[in-house]
Amino acid sequence: MPPQVLRIFLLAAGIVTAYSIARYFLTPPSFREYGFYRGDALTELRAREPVFAGRKACEECHSDEVQKLAKFEHKTLSCEGCHGPGQAHSQNPDIKIDKSNYGACLRCHEANDSRPKWHKQIVSRSHYTESKPDAKPGVKSGSLCTECHVPHAPSEVP
Amino acid sequence: MSNQLSRRSILGKIGATLAGVLAAPVARTAKAAVQKVLVTTGAPKGYDPTRHKWVMAIDANRCIGCGLCAEACKKENHVPEGAFFRTWIERYVITKPKPESGETRGETLVDCPDGGMHGFPALSIPKEEIQHSFFVPKLCNLCHHSPCVQVCPVGATFDTPDGAVLIDPKYCIGCGFCIQACPYGCRFLNPVTKTAEKCTLCYHRITRGLKPACVEICPTQSRVFGDLKNPAPDDPLEKFYQNNRVQALKPHLGTEPRVLYAGIDKEVR
Repeated sequence: MPPQVLRIFLLAAGIVTAYSIARYFLTPPSFREYGFYRGDALTELRAREPVFAGRKACEECHSDEVQKLAKFEHKTLSCEGCHGPGQAHSQNPDIKIDKSNYGACLRCHEANDSRPKWHKQIVSRSHYTESKPDAKPGVKSGSLCTECHVPHAPSEVP
Repeated sequence: MSNQLSRRSILGKIGATLAGVLAAPVARTAKAAVQKVLVTTGAPKGYDPTRHKWVMAIDANRCIGCGLCAEACKKENHVPEGAFFRTWIERYVITKPKPESGETRGETLVDCPDGGMHGFPALSIPKEEIQHSFFVPKLCNLCHHSPCVQVCPVGATFDTPDGAVLIDPKYCIGCGFCIQACPYGCRFLNPVTKTAEKCTLCYHRITRGLKPACVEICPTQSRVFGDLKNPAPDDPLEKFYQNNRVQALKPHLGTEPRVLYAGIDKEVR
């Protein structure tokens, strides 16, 4: 065998051997578990803790409120949509829900031309003063909604 | 080399065989030691990805543009502040065509202030000029033929058997090819981890039996979510497919998204 051919052959064999050794040692064990990727990546992504607990978790303690909500127009709303994320609270009731996360009614109900017509909307600037003519002018809406409306039972008047 | 058997050559061969036999368990132990570094422990077990097929559908007729989904997604997935979104809402405004222009549609205007996560301000266009306006929630389209998966040079992104398209943050080198490849603009480079990120369908939630954060929070059930392999009784997904005429975004690209939309105009891309 000519020496130059032998050298090329040895070099190729060396490369293949080095690759095989690296592959033997360094391929993650979960590789090809589901496909051409590391199966453990799925497990790692699953490990993260949720922030929102979900309605079922709320219902475990606040079932009366959840049942009340289910009778009215707001039945499709998630508790955490208005009250803010509650995973920490659901695991330890001593951790109170942060009230600054409470959603304002106007986030959904302020009139907007892009909103679908079936959705109830108000022009907040005139809505409050129209229904309460003696209200102070320039008053901003927000918690004022609950003076007339019950969020858990929107069609009821207190 | 001589073909004659000598004591030296036989002893040499026996020695080599013994060394080979002894080396195998040593190599195996070494491999196990190396792979201990590569294995992850501590993650919850008892979930089989091959037994599920998750999918989301969007009923744009029901979207009121409150932006709770975009905000919840940020909180749930610890997405950094700024213009980084795994899901967001776009507002489409299609104006009336100019009189005597002979067109059926006017201009298409799209805006998305802060991903829609704080809601949308009133339109600056007068009402008389608007032909049609609506909101479209956007997220990863869960393509059958994902361009993002095809371009990744290190195989860090992949289609999982349960329907999500995920990124392995340990393998991602942050080159940004996938961000350019995604025709729906669903990916971004996380400025903190310097890796690509996108909607995972809240993989940590759905595998625990919860809904994705955006679906959980949506007040109008504009987002429909379900498991195609295990349909729930009275499955909202089934109802969605039955009651709506649906379409995918950018069908001409052949990506075949599994996220289907109802109630959007042809202008939505």
